[in-house]
Formats: sequence, C-alpha cells, structure tokens
Amino acid sequence: MKVEDVVCPFCGCLCDDLVVEVENNRVTSVENGCTLANEKLMEDHRLKNPIRRERGSWKDVSYDAAIQETAEILLDADRPLLYGWSGTHGEAQSVGVHLAELLGAVIDNTSTVCHGPSILAIQEVGHPGCTLGQVKNRADVIVYWGANPIDAHPRHMSRYTTYADGFFVKDAFKERKVIVIDVRKTESSAVANEFVKVDQGGDYAVLSALRAIVRGKGDLIPVKVAGVTREQLFRVADICKNAKFGAIFFGLGLTMSPGKNKNIRNAIELTEELNRHTKFTISPMRGHWNVYGSNEVFTWISGYPYAVDFARGIAFYNPGETTSVDILRRGECDACLVVASDPGAHFPRACAEHLARIPTVQIDPHVNATTHLATLQIPVAVTGIDAEGTAYRMDGVPIRTRKLYEGTYPSDLEILGKIYARVKEAKGS
Amino acid sequence: MTGLLVKNAYVIDPLSGVNGEIMDIAIRDGKIVEEVGSGAVVIDAGGCLTLPGGIDSHSHVCGTKVNFGRYMSPEDMRAGRTARKGVMHVTSGYSVPTTFGNSYRYSSMGYTTVLEGAMAPLEARHTHEEFTATPHQDMLANTLFDGNWSIMEAVRDKDVKRAAAVVAWTLAAVKGFAIKLTNPGGTEAWGWGEDVHSIRDEVPHFGVTPAEIIETMIQANELLNLPHSVHIHCNNLGVPGNYQTTLDTIGLAPDLNRERQSLYLTHVQFHSYGGSTWKDICSKSEEVARAVNARPQVAIDMGQIMFGRTTTMTADGPMEFKLYMLHHNKWSNHDVELETGSGIIPVYYSRKSLVNCVMWAIGLELALLTKNPWQCMLATDNPNGAPFVKYPEIIALLMSRKLREYEMKAIDPRTEHFVPLFAIDRELDWYEIAVMTRAAQAKALGITRIGKGHLAPGAEADIAIYPLKPDELDPAVDYQQVMAGFAKTSYTIKRGRVVARDGEVIVEGANSTIWTRAEVPPEFDLNKDPEFVKKFEQYYTVRMRNYPVQDIYLPRGVSIRTEASL
Amino acid sequence: MRFVLNTGRTIRQGSYVERKNSPVYREEAASLHMDRVDMLDLEIEEGSHVRVKSDQGAVVMVARPADGLVRGEVFVCLGPYANFLVNPETHGTGMPDFKTTVVTIEPTTDPVPTVRELMEQCGGVGYEG
Repeated sequence: MKVEDVVCPFCGCLCDDLVVEVENNRVTSVENGCTLANEKLMEDHRLKNPIRRERGSWKDVSYDAAIQETAEILLDADRPLLYGWSGTHGEAQSVGVHLAELLGAVIDNTSTVCHGPSILAIQEVGHPGCTLGQVKNRADVIVYWGANPIDAHPRHMSRYTTYADGFFVKDAFKERKVIVIDVRKTESSAVANEFVKVDQGGDYAVLSALRAIVRGKGDLIPVKVAGVTREQLFRVADICKNAKFGAIFFGLGLTMSPGKNKNIRNAIELTEELNRHTKFTISPMRGHWNVYGSNEVFTWISGYPYAVDFARGIAFYNPGETTSVDILRRGECDACLVVASDPGAHFPRACAEHLARIPTVQIDPHVNATTHLATLQIPVAVTGIDAEGTAYRMDGVPIRTRKLYEGTYPSDLEILGKIYARVKEAKGS
Repeated sequence: MTGLLVKNAYVIDPLSGVNGEIMDIAIRDGKIVEEVGSGAVVIDAGGCLTLPGGIDSHSHVCGTKVNFGRYMSPEDMRAGRTARKGVMHVTSGYSVPTTFGNSYRYSSMGYTTVLEGAMAPLEARHTHEEFTATPHQDMLANTLFDGNWSIMEAVRDKDVKRAAAVVAWTLAAVKGFAIKLTNPGGTEAWGWGEDVHSIRDEVPHFGVTPAEIIETMIQANELLNLPHSVHIHCNNLGVPGNYQTTLDTIGLAPDLNRERQSLYLTHVQFHSYGGSTWKDICSKSEEVARAVNARPQVAIDMGQIMFGRTTTMTADGPMEFKLYMLHHNKWSNHDVELETGSGIIPVYYSRKSLVNCVMWAIGLELALLTKNPWQCMLATDNPNGAPFVKYPEIIALLMSRKLREYEMKAIDPRTEHFVPLFAIDRELDWYEIAVMTRAAQAKALGITRIGKGHLAPGAEADIAIYPLKPDELDPAVDYQQVMAGFAKTSYTIKRGRVVARDGEVIVEGANSTIWTRAEVPPEFDLNKDPEFVKKFEQYYTVRMRNYPVQDIYLPRGVSIRTEASL
Repeated sequence: MRFVLNTGRTIRQGSYVERKNSPVYREEAASLHMDRVDMLDLEIEEGSHVRVKSDQGAVVMVARPADGLVRGEVFVCLGPYANFLVNPETHGTGMPDFKTTVVTIEPTTDPVPTVRELMEQCGGVGYEG
C-alpha cells in the first residue's frame, strides 16, 4: 500500500511530503526522505514487550503489570521527574503535564539540553521569526550559525533555503547568498558562499562585532575578532544589510558553547538591529521533530516551555534549578519517568549514574542507552508510523502526523492515559 | 433530565425585549424551555441580575501568538498563579493566562462564549488544540485573510467570486468562523519590512490597495451569506492622526445586510487618534462616533485600555515593530507565509503617561458617544488594551460619572485638554451594559440563530447570575459593588449546567467550537482548481492534504452552514 | 596532550540513533575526530585506540583524522561516549558545557566499551534484547 504526504517524525523540519510503501505492518520503501527519514521509517528493531529489572536480570512483564508498577513508583516518590517528551505527539505530552500536576512532579523536555538557552534568551529579548515558507519565498540571504543542517536537518537547505525556489526567488541557488558561521568546517560550510570560521568560544565576540558594524560603530573593530578578520566581518555585515530578506538559523553551536543564552540574546539583538535597515528573521534549528510541540503544550497548560516544577502546587519555573541535568546532578529526584528520549546517552555521565540509582521507568519503542539504566521499560508505537498525533515544526507550524498502519503496540497516549487514571484514582481526586 | 429552574431572577435579555423583569427561567437538556416539572433543581436568584452568558467578540486567548506571549514571558506567568484545586487545574499568568486560567476567569465573570480575534490559517490546528483546553467557553475563530496571496490576486483581477471561493475553502479547511482583516495589505508589506499608510497605498508586488481588499471582502462575505460580517483591524493602528484612516474605512462600508452590520471595526480606541506625533496626540472619538452614529451598517468594539501591565499581541507585525522602537522592551515577530504576520511586545500603560491617559479616555468616549449600544461592544482587545479581568472596572466607569471624575484626579492633569471625556455626562444603565457585553455581540456575530446571547425558549442555557440587585443599587454611586458584582457571578450556567459558583469553577468543562461552512457550487470548489492546487504546492511549505484541520480537533464542533449566492 | 572536545550531530549518528546497541552506532559514537598533525604528535594512526580523560572520567575511543578541525580541537558526535566526559555543571542555565570539555588523550590498547558496558559502569544492568 502506498501512502502519500507522509510526515517524517525525525527532525524539526517535519517534512510532510514523503511517499512510503507499507507491506505487512512494515514500511518497505520511502521516497523523498533523507537518510534519517529512511532509517527511522524502515526500522525493524522494536522492544517486543515490557521488561522489568529483577535482581540483576531482565524479565518480561505484561503491560498491565508495568502500568501498575509505574503508577506505584510515581505515587511512592517524593520528588519525581518526568523527562523527555520531544519524540511523542502533543496529545501524549498533554497527559504528561497533567500527570506532573497531579503528582506535584517536575516535568522537563529535551529542550533542556538543546535550545533551552534559546528560550532563556527569548524570554529576555523576544524572538523575531517567521514560518519557513516566508524564507523560501523571499529570503536572498541565509545565515547558518553554529548549525550543520546537512548532518542534523538534511532537507532544510533543499526545502526551505539554499536550493528552495520560491515566489520572489525563482532561482534560489543563484539568487541566494548562504553564509555559514561555525567553529569547524562541516559539510554545510562546504556549500556556503561565505564561511566564517570562529575560534572555539568566540561566537559572542563575533556577534558583538557585527552588531557594532551594523550600528555604524565599525571603527571600533580590531583587525581580528575571535579568529575572524575585520574585512570578513565588514563583508558579512554588508551582505546582511543589503539583503531584501535575511534569515538567520542557529544551532547548538550557540546554545551549548560558552555564553549559551547570552550568545542567543546577542544573535537576536543583531537581528533586531538589522531590522532597522531591512527585513531580518532568526530561528532556532529545533532538533527533535516535536520538541517545539512539547514547549507549546507545556506552555499553554503550565505557562512555561520546559523545566516546570509542580511541587508547590503552582507551576514554578527556574531553569538552572528545575532543569533535569541539575536535578539529576544534585541527586534530587527519587524516581524518573522517561518518555520518548534517551537521557542515558545524552546527559552527562553523572546524571546517568543517578538514573541507575533510582527507579527509572522508560516509555520508548526501542532499546537504547537508558534501557540499561532503567528498572522498567514499556514499548509503545512510534508516532508517525503506527501512532498519530500533533507535532509542531521548528517554526511553530502544527502538522498532524499520519498512522501508516494499524500495529499491535499501544500508543504513548494510551499508556500515559492509563498511568494517569491509576494515579488519579489512588489520589482520590 | 429533570431540568433546572432559576427562580426570582432579575432578567435583562435585550434580544427578547426583556428589561428588568423578575422571572423564572426553565432549563432542560441544555436549552431554555417554557417550563420544567416539579422535580427540577431550583436555584433562587433572589432578585439578582440575571443575563444571558457573556460573549466576548474580540479577544486573544488561543493560538500561536497567544502561546508565544506566554512562552516569552515568565514574568507574566508568575504574576498570576493558582494551585490545582478541586476540578480546577493549575493556572499561570496575568495578562496572558494559560488556557485553563483564561477559561476559569472568564467563567467566573459569567462569560460563556469567546471569539479568538486572529487565527492564521496555516496555524489553525494550534488554535483548535487550545480551544479544547479552554473548556468553559464556546469558541470561535476569526480567520486572517489580510495578506492572503490568493485573495490579493482575486482582488487584483476584480473577481469577487474568486475571493469568495478562497474564503469558503479556507474557512472549511481551518474550521474558522469569520473573515478577519488585520492591517489589510500591511502584513504582506511587512514581509519586506514595509507597511501601508493609508487605505489607498499599494501593497508591494500585488498591485492592490487596502481599500480594494476591504471592499472585495465585504462583497465576498455577503455572497457567502456568512453569519458574521468582515471583522477589521484598520490600517495604521496606534499612529497619531490615524482617525482619518478609520473614517475612510468606515466610508467604504455599504449596507448589505438586514440582520447585522456589514463591517465590524475592532479595538477602535487604537484607531481614533488625532495629532501628528506622540507630542500632540489627541482624541478624535467624537469624529469616529459621529461616523458610526450615521451608519447603522457598521459596528465597533471599544478596545479600551486600562492602566497597568499587559502584553500586546496582534497579527499586525509592522505595528508591533513600531511599538518596539518606542518601548525598547522585548519584541517577538512571526510572519506566516502567504497569509499574514504577527508581533508581540509587553507594555505598561501608565497614569503618568499623557499618551496612555488620552488612549484610556478615548475608549470610554467611544462607548459613551456611540448612541446605539448595539453598535459599540465592550472589549479591551484582550490582552492588548488590558486583560479581560478588567471588564468589571470598565463597566463601572461607563455607569458612573463620579468614578470617571475620581480617576481624572489620578491621571496626567493635562489629559483633559486633549480629550472630551470629562465633558460627557452620560452614564450607561444596566440594559445598555447587557447589550454591550452579550446581546450586541450575539447579533454582530450572527449567532443568535444558534441560540446565543438571549434567553428565549430554544436558546442555549448559557446564563450569568450576578450578586447585584439593580433595584437596590445606584451604579452611579455604588461603583465598588458594581465592580465586585461583575467580577464574580453567583452562578454561571453553561448549556444548562452550573459550571461556576461565587468565582470558583466546579465542574470539568465541555465546550463547543463554532465554525462556518459555506456551500459553494462545484465550479467554485478550489480543491478541484488546478491553478490553486499548483500554487499551493509550489509556495506553501506544507502539502495541501496536510493543511486542513481534521475533525478530531473539534470534539464538539458546531458548524453553521450557509448556501453561497454564487 | 590537552585538547578541547567538541560534540555535535553526524548523519551516521542520527541514522543509528534508535539502534544504540548496534556495532555501527558504537563505531560512530566512539569515533574521536582530530587533526592529522595532532595524531602524528600522539604517534597514532587512523583506527588507533585512545584513552580520553576529563575531570569526570575516562573512556576509550577510536581516533580518526578530520579535515575541518584545527589543532588542539577534537570532535565526537553526541552520545554516551562523549557524555562520559562531560561535566554536569550548568552554571545556572540547565545546559552543561557539551562543546568545550577539556580532555587529555593518550594511546592505549584497551578495547572500546559497548554502550551497554558504559551504562553498566554507570550502575545499570545491561539488557540483551
């Protein structure tokens, strides 16, 4: 069976033009997808059933027993942490937030180790952005800063920027200038019109230099700023000022390196500065296909995009304190529910060690690094393959993922709904 | 169902011609009925003011930009928070509360229906997700067409029917309620960092003017027989001297509909400025109200501002940038491909700012100078002028000259030289307030036909009982009681069920989303129009098949079907 | 020798992100990319095992020459190998310094651990699924 206009549940590009062939509850071919999409959709390695760690070895358990035990673990905890969420659909995320509310838990999503600092910067200075089609149809200058789309968002350039023809930009490859700014050469920098190589940790200084030039204070600029020559800085500033429509896309090269949220703030303020001359927008390259959805859902229910602590009854938010890495680093939580992510692989080792010390339940279709740390894992359907639901693209456009076949696994929503019901019943509310 | 009986109610139901009669209201199966049996649950209203459920005809509560207002403002989230209690979820936020926060606060003020003022079609799914999480109000979405490329192409080709077809297709696809034009043409110009400055300016690249867009859309709206009229946020919002643009826009409105206005102008306070700079800004409410009084084919809402902190959010991207240049506070912008824009900045309206004082006066003047209350609705463009929780204060100001004079002493003393407010004696009465907070909205939105805004048998049993005894109160003097009374109902009844008591929500809600489906002849069905389909696939970044909002997003959708006259 | 460890995505890491216990994932996630001259200085070749140490601990990886890096900088794709070395301090931001971990590198003949073994070192119990 052929399914068209399939939505890819891998990265924040959320491409929705895939054509897949489905046979016997498996995807057998994928058209239009990138390597990441093909690998994800043609997967064949799910965890078969719930598993439970018992005295140093693993046993199969029933869904019902696993759900019951999860509810008990959460109810028994004084300070549970509910982490992950970016790899599932919005409806499941919504149950997650209500579960956290009911338990007085901390709920956090993968932004915490991704674009969390971007959110902090946006909360300081705002965010002049746009949908990706605005870039495709209008932009004549693209800047990728601390981002390597060819590896992380493989179709970003062909769908939205470098190679994407649009209404006002009929021949994108010729009419569009692409600037890549990074601390290392990448596949992406290789296709840029201008590559700006910044010294490790020098992004803040380079952003400040560009702001100064755009503001007309270019005479302050020394011969070199963090490894970038004065000439190149002026050239880049000039390209940006003369753009009809410019778009900056930034990645973890800014959020994770020294300066973090202050780098992003500086980049946003550069964008604002450029708006006094022309049209400029800035957008984070969101990683997971639905990490932005987790921010949206958390926000409309609790008021905050991530790191929400319900321990006091109200929603409390203080990144640096209520963020997962900090809570685990301090050894503070006494139970953890991991949904649709892999902190075992993606958090610093000290955090993984704490996850191994406490009851950790993972709801995830696959065996991953966290599996080995967990006490219980419940496999679920993969949203976009055998489950469906809402996802928010990196630019905030909501798209409903498709279910490609009726599988045998329950969805995240079903499992979380049952856990919620049991917790609610036990709480008598 | 045994039913519900509200006894001894002091009822004002303007659409039914009831003004202050002590009555009983019988309810069964969510509707008002002639009578119920003796087994009915009885609520004794004790002679208290009983009105149809409140209707907000212009508010920003759900969707992409509203949620971004929350996302970027932890300081606002901290400024209003409540813990989980009974059936009530945690809430956060003062000017941009979380969805449950909005819903509970509206409900305890007796509001049962709210129209979201601006939904970008491409992001409609988001609005509908938040509607579902706003459980105590029936929700409707104004759908943005101000920078819609297909519309502007139809306008350029002088093809009204084509414009109507685009509207019909879009409303059906995104489950929208009505046509919204926010700074028509200006949001497209903002795609290049530009704006339009009068209704006769040309939109870059498209060769059309705001006036042509507005006129075409008014015609298209009536061709589709939509329940509401075109709902416009005029060009030049917030610009000194903009009243001329507003008058020009009012001048475009023909009288095409016997049931309601042909053009709804929203937050007109922001569009009634004289002067040429922030230094000489003055009120032009008299000129604007005169134009409204002379033309029954237009209706407006106040767009009242109230002093204090709030968040501005609008599809009018260029206006927010101008505001940012003024305030230098944080600024967000979000342009939506082929459709519209948006912007957000937090503001503080200060009694010490002459400009803010003039703005404050203008909103009140519009309400007091518009002779017919059916033509001027009470709203703050929530949260742009003020969060909706300020409505009770606004009601009190409109009902009491004494309160206005009291306020005058607290504001910039120069204000009176720039505004006529303090020369106006009019004090609105209970009936006029009832009109301006529900009945006029129901009529203007065209939803009386589905039982909204009135209490006649057959109507939806959406009722607000306020702890106010009109016979025992003089609102001109007892303004404190008026404020307190409108802030918290004794009972809010939604579809026949008591949902809030004394300011607390007591049941889980189950709202409806009301949208419009205009049936068009097959030759106007754009799903089968190769040109439309081709352009869609070329220029949008989502596939046409993934664009429409699926039915699952409207668990209790109510569609108003119309037959287009094409 | 002292280096600054940078991390980031690679297409291969992304392709195998849901098969973290596969040999290909291990090969990718345990690849330490570095400048060729630095490799000469360390007297190692492509494929040599190296012990990479930070203030958090040590892990054995496989050295690979890379063109895009300057001397003194090394790159490992994000994952459990790099994270074995990353300090959990977030300086009040919630975000660890994933891109600037100071490490020392020395040749070794020790084997490269599996993801499972790494997690067992963290106190977990390996699942053979």
